[in-house]
Amino acid sequence: MSSGEGSSQPSSKKSRQPKYSRFTQQELPACKPILTPGLVVTTFILVGVIFIPIGLLSLSASERVVEIVDRYDEDCIPSDQEKTAFIQSDKTNKTCVRSLTVPKKMQHPVYIYYQLDNFYQNHRRYVKSRSDKQLRNPENEDLTSPCEPEARVDNKPIVPCGLVAWSLFNDTYGFSVSGMNLSVNKKDIAWDSDKNYKFGSKVYPKNFQQGSLIGGGKLDEKIPLSEQEDLLVWMRTAALPSFRKLYGRIEQDLEANETITVVIQNNYNAYAFGGKKKLVLSTTTWIGGKNSFLGLGYITIGGLCLFIATTFIVMYLIKPRPYGDPSYLSWNRNPPGN
Amino acid sequence: MTTQQRPLLIPSPRTPGAPELPYTPAYADQLKSISENPKPSSGTGMDINSQVDNLSLPDNITLNSSSQRSNSSYQSRASGRNSMREVSFAGNSVRELNSGELGKKPMRYGSRAESEGLSMSQKEINDEDARFVYINDPVKTNERFEFARNSIRTAKYSIITFLPRNVFEQFHRVAYIYFLVIAILNQLPQLAVFGRGVSVLPLAFVLSVTAVKDAYEDFRRHRSDKIENNRLAWVLVNDNFQQKKWKDIQVGEIIKISANDSLPCDMVLLSTSDPTGVAYVQTINLDGESNLKTRYAKQETQMKNLEKEKISGLIKCEKPNRNIYGFQANMEIDGKRVSLGPSNIVLRGCELKNTRWAIGVAVYAGRETKAMLNSSGAPSKRSRLETQMNREIIILSFFLVALCTIVSVCAGVWLRRHKDELDNMPFYRKKDYSEVEADGNYDDYNYYGYGLEIFFTFLMSVIVFQVMIPISLYISMELVRVGQAYFMIRDTNMYDASSNSRFQCRALNINEDLGQIKYVFSDKTGTLTENKMEFHCASISGVDYNGGTAIDEDEQVGYSAQVDGQVLRPKMKVKVDPQLLSIAKSGKQADQESRVRDFFLALAACNTIVPLTTETADPAVRLVDYQGESPDEQALVYAAAAYGFMLIERTSGHIVIDVQGETHRFNVLGLHEFDSDRKRMSVILGCPDNSVKVFVKGADTSMFSVIDNSLNLDILGATEAHLHSYSSVGLRTLVIGMRELSASEFEQWQSSYETASTALIGRAALLRKVASNVESNLRILGASGIEDKLQQGVPEAIESLRMAGIKVWVLTGDKQETAISIGYSSKLLTTQMTQIVINCKSKESCRKSLDDALIVSQKLVPDSVAAHATGGSSEASPLALIIDGTSLVHILDSELEEQLFQLASRCNVVLCCRVAPLQKAGIVALIKNRTDDMTLAIGDGANDVSMIQMADVGIGISGQEGRQAVMASDFAMGQFRFLVPLLLVHGHWNYQRISYMILYNFYRNAVLVFVLFWYALFTSYTLTTAMTDWSSMLYSIIYTAVPTIVVGILDKDLSRRTLLKYPQLYGAGQREEGYNTTLFWVTMMDTVWQSAAIFFLPVLAYWRSTVDISGLGDLWTLAVVIVVNLHLAMDVLRWYWITHAAIWGSIIATFICVMIIDCLPSLFGYWAFFKIAGSALFWLCLLGITVAALLPRFIVKVFSQYYRPDDILIAREADKFGNLTALRNGEIELNPIFDPPRR
Repeated sequence: MSSGEGSSQPSSKKSRQPKYSRFTQQELPACKPILTPGLVVTTFILVGVIFIPIGLLSLSASERVVEIVDRYDEDCIPSDQEKTAFIQSDKTNKTCVRSLTVPKKMQHPVYIYYQLDNFYQNHRRYVKSRSDKQLRNPENEDLTSPCEPEARVDNKPIVPCGLVAWSLFNDTYGFSVSGMNLSVNKKDIAWDSDKNYKFGSKVYPKNFQQGSLIGGGKLDEKIPLSEQEDLLVWMRTAALPSFRKLYGRIEQDLEANETITVVIQNNYNAYAFGGKKKLVLSTTTWIGGKNSFLGLGYITIGGLCLFIATTFIVMYLIKPRPYGDPSYLSWNRNPPGN
Repeated sequence: MTTQQRPLLIPSPRTPGAPELPYTPAYADQLKSISENPKPSSGTGMDINSQVDNLSLPDNITLNSSSQRSNSSYQSRASGRNSMREVSFAGNSVRELNSGELGKKPMRYGSRAESEGLSMSQKEINDEDARFVYINDPVKTNERFEFARNSIRTAKYSIITFLPRNVFEQFHRVAYIYFLVIAILNQLPQLAVFGRGVSVLPLAFVLSVTAVKDAYEDFRRHRSDKIENNRLAWVLVNDNFQQKKWKDIQVGEIIKISANDSLPCDMVLLSTSDPTGVAYVQTINLDGESNLKTRYAKQETQMKNLEKEKISGLIKCEKPNRNIYGFQANMEIDGKRVSLGPSNIVLRGCELKNTRWAIGVAVYAGRETKAMLNSSGAPSKRSRLETQMNREIIILSFFLVALCTIVSVCAGVWLRRHKDELDNMPFYRKKDYSEVEADGNYDDYNYYGYGLEIFFTFLMSVIVFQVMIPISLYISMELVRVGQAYFMIRDTNMYDASSNSRFQCRALNINEDLGQIKYVFSDKTGTLTENKMEFHCASISGVDYNGGTAIDEDEQVGYSAQVDGQVLRPKMKVKVDPQLLSIAKSGKQADQESRVRDFFLALAACNTIVPLTTETADPAVRLVDYQGESPDEQALVYAAAAYGFMLIERTSGHIVIDVQGETHRFNVLGLHEFDSDRKRMSVILGCPDNSVKVFVKGADTSMFSVIDNSLNLDILGATEAHLHSYSSVGLRTLVIGMRELSASEFEQWQSSYETASTALIGRAALLRKVASNVESNLRILGASGIEDKLQQGVPEAIESLRMAGIKVWVLTGDKQETAISIGYSSKLLTTQMTQIVINCKSKESCRKSLDDALIVSQKLVPDSVAAHATGGSSEASPLALIIDGTSLVHILDSELEEQLFQLASRCNVVLCCRVAPLQKAGIVALIKNRTDDMTLAIGDGANDVSMIQMADVGIGISGQEGRQAVMASDFAMGQFRFLVPLLLVHGHWNYQRISYMILYNFYRNAVLVFVLFWYALFTSYTLTTAMTDWSSMLYSIIYTAVPTIVVGILDKDLSRRTLLKYPQLYGAGQREEGYNTTLFWVTMMDTVWQSAAIFFLPVLAYWRSTVDISGLGDLWTLAVVIVVNLHLAMDVLRWYWITHAAIWGSIIATFICVMIIDCLPSLFGYWAFFKIAGSALFWLCLLGITVAALLPRFIVKVFSQYYRPDDILIAREADKFGNLTALRNGEIELNPIFDPPRR
């Protein structure tokens, strides 16, 4: 009779010898990469060979982009007036006319962006101040709790609530070339996913901008949120404090040296926090907008790799080290008595 | 000794069992302290040393060392095995003898009293400290105190308590509390960075994984508890023995046990089937010792027939404790008080053997039994790497605090600079304009002033940057260690076929310590040697018989005896010398023949071996298994059996020996057991021819003094010469003598023996004197040589360890000569070595010899070399230090320790002989306290327990001497030689894997934190996270967890073959090459660069573009995951298909997760991934980030590997390219002796 506890007695005569398998003996077939000079040089050259062309391509793509940037917030305000008071007042005439010269031919579509600098759309108070549920479904109109302090007006829920919507950008631009109006296409500037799912087609703006402090643009209460594309664009909060947002598209080519007249309604108050407002007209390529950084970066990395490959080859020729040579082992290297 | 003066409780001379004996052996206190302090921690080093100092060592040590000093090594050659077994105290020495013609009453004679020392002195037990057990009256026994019932419960939880208790226990880990605090912080509305649910996710995940594991383990315990509790036992109810379930047994009940039953609880024996009240128990489940122990019922109760006459009495015993070798109680029965000791109690878990039945009264039940109190798990140790890791964790938390401070201070500055604009700022809007206060001002919305804002920002940043402290690392490490343990257990090279034992991992958290060992402290007996004594040769009256031939299993049947129509055969076969065999078999009465007969008779009779017969497949044949506490005696009895003197039966009063086919019955008239003063034992036999003979066997030194020198000087001289030659080949020797007692001598002995054994004071000394009187004027019969067989592969293993730069110290209880001879045979000592021997009697002489030795050592080993001594390079003259226990008494715990350390660290080999168990721990502590070097202790016996627990890594050999060492150890294995694969292969791998994993985990989490931190600088320090909450939580659970665990378990730098071929490669772990502060800082610098590359490349590429938060966040998420996984891929040394699956799978899983998250319209970043991934810029960014982030690391790696290759790299290259010529050269350069252990 064997005792129940401890059961240290070897059970019968069964061998406890572990079964042999390549796995348990840690002898699975494996690839053992070693950084041989061949491998190292190949790697570096390969990286160089791939990166430099990509860099050149992106650089040229970026160079092909034609871009007009015009900062207007400074000039569109009478210098004799206090900026904040001017912009906050309902009475003042905020129309401002700017003329831009097209440096090179711009093929359509020409994208119109407004650019804000020093505007922290990624500020945590700001980002959180919205109610996605409310935006999607008219039944959730009362779900305004995350929207404080822009949640309710006279105890009625604001739709869309929150700081993001409240601060909607409301400068407008009108374009004309030599007296001819350029039509601006403002359709499909927002993401389809936002239009179709995130913003409800049955949610209509309510009590919007009715509070004591007006933050920005107003909304037409007859149009559902899903069709208010400016709002949709605005509410895709930007990742960085300097950002552009799509305003619209000009669906015709702009010739070089043409002068474009822009009539700006300078409504948006960026003066309160030292923000900058810019109007941007830009064409686009596969790389996006004008940005040479990526191209330069790729070329630098590629060049560096090629340089290292050369260095390594030279070093290998000058002072080769035989691989796997036991005479390099530390206990063989130190002669005794040392 | 003070105890000697204490009055006895009850002087009852005829009472068998000798707890009344007042003699407490010299080292009883020491033993007590071992059993009481089973776990000396490093902090109590002083304690241990003082205990060592206090011991008055047994005289033999001093005697011995003096003789050693005077005559180099000639005089003391042999020794009884018994003297080495100071702690094998379980063996009870008292033998009984049925005096047959001489006495009517059953009586027992005993002469040795060591074991009684354990019962402590005869202290009166205080009533408060005692428990009262009314025999056969469980109701009364249990009315006052509710003693534990006998149902046991090893399970920790019940269904109801599981949740709260498990959670409570899990939160004992500091890491989890950190987790919890962060999660709670996140629940505060002002601080909520992550969604509430999301932030609890990691904690919940970890808790539930552990809970499921615990629940499963507990379920299994519940099951085994149930089986155990429902076993049946015979319990006396209403004067009838009835079957009762174990769980219903109560303290005070009388229980009857039959042969081969296991005991349901701890009980005091009342009577047994043996008329003298002896019961044999096997304690294998308790301490693993397989030999039988004798336990006694008291004479007062033995006489009663319990079923017929009602018994009542009171046992007053000590409170339950865990000391399985101690028991102290007294029993009032029939108005008499009888004292009870450890030999009167049988413990739960033991099995009754060789006794038809035994009846006892339950005194401890259930969880209060000694077995249950002792069933605690392995001690938990912390690995060196983990301790070092904690240092870096503290640095990381400084980083964390620094980052949080930067963010919060910047946030404060920002608020201050914009304080006028805050009210109207569209993205801040400090004022809540919806409600006007009474004074016409507006209330602040969610704004609490600079101080609080800064404080909140700080807390928020702690929440965001929480993964800086890699909590997942703790979980991954545990998983990796489980994997490593799995591989170690499954290693076929560490399976011991002879004991059918696998490698055991008892402690899971110190696997990687195995890769950093610098000192190995090894026990000798049972560790280096097999502890299997084999009779090798004999010198009988001056004739040397050592022509033993190898046993041929098939041809040689060996000796067998016919008893009752059955063939009895000894279980073990012994090599026999044919010449001696023929002499033994011849019936001639010539001088030599009769001496040979007497010699073997002495071997067969003069011992305490119990023969047990076991069945075999053939019903007519039974095997005789000799059970005894001393392997030497076993060897001798087996040898005698092989030569035709087979011990068949041993009962209380006689032994039966089959002599060449005739069964002879000898009355055992008296037995003087071995003690360490006399160093011999004797038995007085009444032979069939009515002569009375005394046979004595003992160590040569003690025997030559009692041998009649006037007789046979030639024989004496020849025997001495043989003894010398035996011991020089490493044999253990015993000298055997005898004489015939005349009737008057016998009577004189008998009367003095009785007087002595009933004496009140100084009984042990009197008994010793009686023994000395009778053990005199002996005629020498001869000497035996027993081989203490070295375990297989020990010399090769020691050679490998030495080449690996591990210092092997041997600590043994053996004598100096034996230790040195084993040292030579195990190649620990070589002839080129200069030996420094220190054996001194006083502190002053110790000081002097240490000083001398230091000077010598400085001459031989200059300082510069001493520093490199660990490198394993062979110096001109390596040093070996041999030191004995007496000297250590003076050196340890005194200012001489430092000198000893200095000396020992210069020596390649240190041999400590004659050391007591606690001294072993003291020696380990000597190294442990003075250096940072990792120590490993390996041993197999109870005497190694203290050393095993003291060392950083304790290894138990599951061998002959029981399981105590195994129970105390961190790892257990079958053979000493497994140390080589364990350390050199598994230890190396474990260390490399874990150390890389720690660094990688630090890096992995820090990269993420730095990316988050950079972004915080671009959000006006408000800690908006671009990555989704889910992604940052899943980061360490799904995105990056699996590859590090897979690599941590499977990756290996070098093959087993290479590691065994170049033991020096082990040095990488000793030099902490895998994980150190430099590597940590290098990694952190790399981390900063990589995080900068990951963050700024997209920022610059997307600067002033229409990119939204979520899109960029997804890019960063993917970039981090790809970079981190490729970083790992770059460092993987061996690509298995599993590795491929884990790394590429993780990256793919991340893409899938990101897509899924962006498909949920309820989340903020709906569809963002698909928008941003639709542009070429996104993919170019990913590619650029990956290359730019990893390039510096790759370059550094390439160049450092090319110009400063380390040993591991070179060996890896050799491994891969199989550069055969180079390898062959290497071998010649390395060491021609080395022969890689067989696989």
